[in-house]
Amino acid sequence: MRVHVKLIATYQKLLPPGTKGNVVPLEVPDGTTLGQVMTRFEVPLDDTSVILLNGLTVPLDTILSEGDTAAAFSAIAGG
Amino acid sequence: MYGWHGRLLRINLTQRKSTIETIDPKILHDYIGGRGLAIHYLYKELDPMVDPLSVENKLIFATGPLTATTAPTGNRYMVVTKSPLTGALAHSNSGGDFPTWMKRSGFDLYIFEGKADQPVYVWVNEDQVEIRPADHLWGKDVHETTDLLLTETDPEAKVACIGPAGENRVLMAAIMNDKHRAAARSGVGAVMGSKNLKAVVAMGKKNPAFFDDAGMRALSVELSKEVGVDIKKGSNLRIYGTAYVPQVTNTLGILPTRNFQSGVFEGVDKIDGVALKEKYLITHKPCYRCPISCGRLTAVDDEKYAGKGEGPEYETIASLGSSCGVDNLAALTKANYLCNELGLDTISAGLTISAAMEMFEKGIITETQTGMPLRFGDGDAVIEMVRKIAYREGFVNELADGSFRLAENYDHPEMSVTARKQELPGYDPRGSQGMGLLYATSNKGASHMEGEVAYEEVFGVPVKADPLSTDGKAELVKRFQDAFVLIDSGGVCVFFAVRYVFTREMMIWPDRLAALLNLTTGVGYSPEEALQAAERIYNLERLFLIKAGSGPEFDTLSPRLLNEPLPEGPAKGRVVDLDKMLPEYYKVRGWDVKGYPTPSKLAELGLA
Repeated sequence: MRVHVKLIATYQKLLPPGTKGNVVPLEVPDGTTLGQVMTRFEVPLDDTSVILLNGLTVPLDTILSEGDTAAAFSAIAGG
Repeated sequence: MYGWHGRLLRINLTQRKSTIETIDPKILHDYIGGRGLAIHYLYKELDPMVDPLSVENKLIFATGPLTATTAPTGNRYMVVTKSPLTGALAHSNSGGDFPTWMKRSGFDLYIFEGKADQPVYVWVNEDQVEIRPADHLWGKDVHETTDLLLTETDPEAKVACIGPAGENRVLMAAIMNDKHRAAARSGVGAVMGSKNLKAVVAMGKKNPAFFDDAGMRALSVELSKEVGVDIKKGSNLRIYGTAYVPQVTNTLGILPTRNFQSGVFEGVDKIDGVALKEKYLITHKPCYRCPISCGRLTAVDDEKYAGKGEGPEYETIASLGSSCGVDNLAALTKANYLCNELGLDTISAGLTISAAMEMFEKGIITETQTGMPLRFGDGDAVIEMVRKIAYREGFVNELADGSFRLAENYDHPEMSVTARKQELPGYDPRGSQGMGLLYATSNKGASHMEGEVAYEEVFGVPVKADPLSTDGKAELVKRFQDAFVLIDSGGVCVFFAVRYVFTREMMIWPDRLAALLNLTTGVGYSPEEALQAAERIYNLERLFLIKAGSGPEFDTLSPRLLNEPLPEGPAKGRVVDLDKMLPEYYKVRGWDVKGYPTPSKLAELGLA
């Protein structure tokens, strides 16, 4: 199935080289979780990241559905 | 005395006389400085019912014990007065260089009172204080005024001044310092204008000694290293400034769009920090000695929108940009420059223009009145409106009093997105419920700088909270409001200072802020005492509001936020569930069910 991955600001550099903008489409097998897709892009899964599914705060083991957008950005504030 | 000067400068503009007064050490201990010390004096000296633009109002500039110290981000000051926009309290915060220079002039506070019969400016060079004529500056913009004053006084001095907007008593007029920095909110510039006070120029070398110089140096180095670690990892604030935030809020569906008719803006990629960096960024520019350096020095070379200055910051992008439906970054940046030059708060200006745009598109106001089409997405119209607001020109005079009064005048209160008559910052509270409670209860009307719970709901700092839930938000809002009181009273900036007051494990626990205060002042605050001081200050502000006629009945939000669900995005279908949070908030504050501080709470805080 196809999902989208959006990596914001400093995390944009974790997208494949040459990506235009901050979103890429991605084919993933059924049963893929939010955490797994973020691991593919080397997004830290600890509390230094904010990771969202369709803009919502959900657990990292949430299974993705066709058309979902998984997004992440650095949670570091102030420096 | 360490850390504080223990002195205030009182300037009576009517009599053109200045006096130096000492400050009681117990008052310094109990109110810390900055915002806290200023409300102590305002509450003691001002009848809260005065007309904010009358000769009776007082205008206070306040530094904290950490202003002009080595504490990272120790370079803030507060402007405190009764607000002509909200009728409540104004405490507007600014950084740059001026706060440090003011502190070094040898005073913790400047209190301006009365009204000069002709325009004046005040030149404070340590104990040499002069009230000088400013007729030649009246009508000039912020840049010209600043340049002329540096020539007339000392090129090494720093200037805080108003532009034409403040002179014309525009209710969203800012006090600008170092040309591009703003104590922006609540119409503090209009109060300065009403006193015929064009500018304040400060310099000096009188910094108070630290109680423990070596200890202060060591802790400052340790804290600076923490900033350094973040910067090495890749700091959003250093690389993009606050302009990285539109992508975040748009993803959550809370980026104000077309006057809060939506929280999702299709043009966000054109006005975010990445676009700004690619197109117009010259370099990052810090407040004095700040290791974060989130400020943006930019220039637009496009002929139509040519200019150079600082910004746009996130709040400006959300107000003059997406809330006005504008995806033209050059036009938005130009409107930002113009606000700085004319001395306007970009948030209130942007949201008042977007309210007028909605009223125009819905036929409530017409081109016969406005003299031009006023449609969402028209960046040129935004620029023109900004200019006309500052000069109260023609019909646009009606916008100069803010969106609340504009919308009321046309019987469409839902088109003003405000709390206590002040326009909302860039977090739609329908998708960030805690921000809704914050705006509704803020002592200065809608403001993110009053306790930005978006840190948790949006940015995951110190931990991520679900922005759509109302659970625990009353406690969260109180915690952030108290934390921000400490930050504003200490004289530091929220961008790093959240680390002085929060820990991941213990949530709010200002042990490091207390440590900084103790090394600086020698007072020996425990974290508990610091927290109690925060509550004391917050409750005293609340008492001022109640006496000013802006009490609990104003703990609410615009009808749009309470009744009109967001039409799309992650928060689709949501309104602010204020009823669920407000009673709990009163409870955690120790107030009665109607929202008044109880006698026992006031006694506990030494305010009875």
